[in-house]
Amino acid sequence: MIELKLVSFAYVSEDVIRDVNLVFSPGVTAVVGPNGSGKTTLLKLAAVIYRPRVGEVLIDGVNPWSMSEKARASVRRDVVYVHEKPIMLRGSVADNVAYGLRVRNVPADEVVVKIEEALEALGIKHLAHEKAQTLSVGQQQKVALARALAVRPRNLLLDEPTANLDKSGRENFMELVKELRRKGVCIAVATHDRLLAMELMDRLVLVENRTTKFIKNP
Amino acid sequence: MWQEIAEVVTRSILISGTATLFAAFWSVPIAMMLTAKDSKFRVALLDVTNTLVGVPTVLVGLVLYLLFSRSGPLGFLGILYTPTSIVIGEAVLITPIIISLSALVLRETKAKVWEMAVSIGATERQASVTMVAESLPRLLMAILLGFNRAIGELGVALMLGGNIKGFTRVMTTAIALEVSKGEFELALTLGGILLLVTFTITAIVGKVGKVR
Repeated sequence: MIELKLVSFAYVSEDVIRDVNLVFSPGVTAVVGPNGSGKTTLLKLAAVIYRPRVGEVLIDGVNPWSMSEKARASVRRDVVYVHEKPIMLRGSVADNVAYGLRVRNVPADEVVVKIEEALEALGIKHLAHEKAQTLSVGQQQKVALARALAVRPRNLLLDEPTANLDKSGRENFMELVKELRRKGVCIAVATHDRLLAMELMDRLVLVENRTTKFIKNP
Repeated sequence: MWQEIAEVVTRSILISGTATLFAAFWSVPIAMMLTAKDSKFRVALLDVTNTLVGVPTVLVGLVLYLLFSRSGPLGFLGILYTPTSIVIGEAVLITPIIISLSALVLRETKAKVWEMAVSIGATERQASVTMVAESLPRLLMAILLGFNRAIGELGVALMLGGNIKGFTRVMTTAIALEVSKGEFELALTLGGILLLVTFTITAIVGKVGKVR
């Protein structure tokens, strides 16, 4: 569970997020709002990538910004954020999916199994040995999702996850999210896709005018 | 003649290569430090470095000449008119170029790779290592540009090396000398070799830079 308490954030001087109180709990929370409203910023604050100017971000009741860098990294590992524009490292698709596991020092044999499972879940097992940076954006998006799934996060924050996916990719993604929801994962999805939001969400967060409105039963 | 040309070419590559290695050794870590966190001081330092990219080679040569000359503060080292002084001069000359280009590369990579690495669970140290690893081909290009500038410069090599035959004569100083003697054939041959060397190294590093 991720909790934002009176969080404000500014890139330069003016707040882009102001006095936000919000809880991302198990299940699917759709984050919607117009372009530039601060959806991505909100997710990055929740993912402990951005540090709030004021206020607190709590991951399962713990404030990672009050800890040492090492301890913060440990808490941060419970949260995975997937970028809207997929970012691929040099090397193969398998190397990319393995990245999150390798930084966690997961044993090599376990890494192989988890890569296979994640690629299978996204239907891209045949791309395992392709160079990730040469793939289409849609395929890269699936790789980024596989990379996130491989580490089995308890909190998964997805920024426009279906923006580059085709119809079957989108349907596959929705099934995956439903499966994760059944497993009790806390999922937040920032999206413009109303249909996706309607089909998946348990709760809705509307981001507008630098603040948020939480709707429990949308 | 060809033996002398081969000797001058080899010396040029060795001197400029050594200078580039030294400059890269300190310039890349400085670039990492300058891009690690945003602060007004670091931005100002980067601005100063960017300004120094265009510093005339003769100015660097003059300052170092005054330092290394017998009556200068570092005169006791006795390195003026030796290959060592050219290595130092060229390393100083190309340091701002390598820092500036490396900082540009690292800044761009940081915006993408560093954030992705952290978001998937890397510690800040692991993310920094990933960032550098992902930037390597382009950092290599930045270092290569430094080498090309070093091997093609005249001011430092002439003022600090003195163009001593068989000792500090490099391609650029040899070309300048042959032109002043009216020996255009030899000057053109050396010029052609200089271009060939820079083209070859650029092509090799360019190929490495495209590795995905």
